[in-house]
Amino acid sequence: MRASQAGPDPGGGGEPDLNWLLDHVARGDQGAFEAVYDRLAGPIYGLICKVVRDPAQSEEVAQEVLLEVWRTASRFDPAKGSAGTWAMMIAHRRAIDRVRSATAELQRDHKTAAASVVPAVDEVAEAVEASLDAERVRRCLNALTDVQRESITLAYYGGYTYREVSGLLDVALGTIKTRIRDGLIRLRDCMGVSW
Amino acid sequence: MKLLRHDLHTLTGAYALDAIDDAERDRFERHLHRCQPCDHEVRGLHETAGRLAVAVARVPPPQLKERVLAAAARTRQLPPAAAERPQPKIGRSWLPRVAMAFGAAGVAAALVLAFALSSAQRQLDTARAQDKAISAVLTAPGARILTARTTVGGTGTVVVASSQKKLIFTAAGLPQLSAAKVYQLWLMGPPRTRSAGLLPAAAEGRTAPLLASGLQAGDRVGVTVEPAGGTSQPTTTPILVMSVR
Repeated sequence: MRASQAGPDPGGGGEPDLNWLLDHVARGDQGAFEAVYDRLAGPIYGLICKVVRDPAQSEEVAQEVLLEVWRTASRFDPAKGSAGTWAMMIAHRRAIDRVRSATAELQRDHKTAAASVVPAVDEVAEAVEASLDAERVRRCLNALTDVQRESITLAYYGGYTYREVSGLLDVALGTIKTRIRDGLIRLRDCMGVSW
Repeated sequence: MKLLRHDLHTLTGAYALDAIDDAERDRFERHLHRCQPCDHEVRGLHETAGRLAVAVARVPPPQLKERVLAAAARTRQLPPAAAERPQPKIGRSWLPRVAMAFGAAGVAAALVLAFALSSAQRQLDTARAQDKAISAVLTAPGARILTARTTVGGTGTVVVASSQKKLIFTAAGLPQLSAAKVYQLWLMGPPRTRSAGLLPAAAEGRTAPLLASGLQAGDRVGVTVEPAGGTSQPTTTPILVMSVR
């Protein structure tokens, strides 16, 4: 059972539970929304920068996403996933919508993209969230095979479809599809995600 | 056809990363509605993708916060999705009969059970035979209703119709189990313990009624947590045991 009906701090760790906060946001509580902003703006903005790259556009998309969190908080269902993940899904979809519509006009440089999608150490070091999390993610990413890691980072951080990833890495479509899935399953287990 | 299904299933990863085009996403989402294991896998992979986002967090420009909060203050929020929370329809024909059968003291309990039953309206509509059997138990002369707490939280409620050797079981507020586990109902008699079926997944915290027949003198009702699919004999300590005599 998730903790949306529990108190603000079911774990006793000092930080209000995101589900609980969202529940209040859904009822128009602007103070709760500010707390949600403080928790999620960093990961949302970081993810969008990764996919969109242009800082001005990233900021614009981040604003849209955060406003979407406010607007649709009542539609968040804790039975379907965590609040953080729900927000990241909105952010990722908005970011790739932006780059996919832009690709038609502006051909992105695939080689640069491929080289820059794995989070660099210094970049992650400036992360807002405790860098322990980032460290763990990086360690788990490094434990994957090259094809698994590259296809996941190209797809997620690069915003490419698996067909595009298949073309970029010159690996058969079916193989990419299964490498992405196998790799994500390994990441899930490595990071101890339980759902 | 099998190949196609398998093919769709391996898309869970690409779907969780939004790495598919719109047409394929629509097709896969239709598949998700019918494929519970895929849906479960997608949730875990979505959570995993969320961690990838946290790993690249960055301090946003300071002016962003002010702009977002100001925009929120003048933006109307969506109401909760109405379609996803259907109002339970009370007023099935057996309800008054149930209430009468239980007499005044049992009315409140009957209403609780009726609510549980009505939330299972759809299943009942497609299983009229079972509906009839359940009504028969509820209205049987001398039917009794018993409720007890489980050791893991929540309650189990039994309506016993000894004359028909049948009972109905529903539970409320049981902890949600992982997909790999189920709650199993048992008739535990002095000679032996028999499975009475698996509790249906809870809707709004309540399980749909489970009808058990073949009740014998001296039987108790028990619930255990078992691997998905159930077992022939209990393999864990019961979370609930109720005497029904």
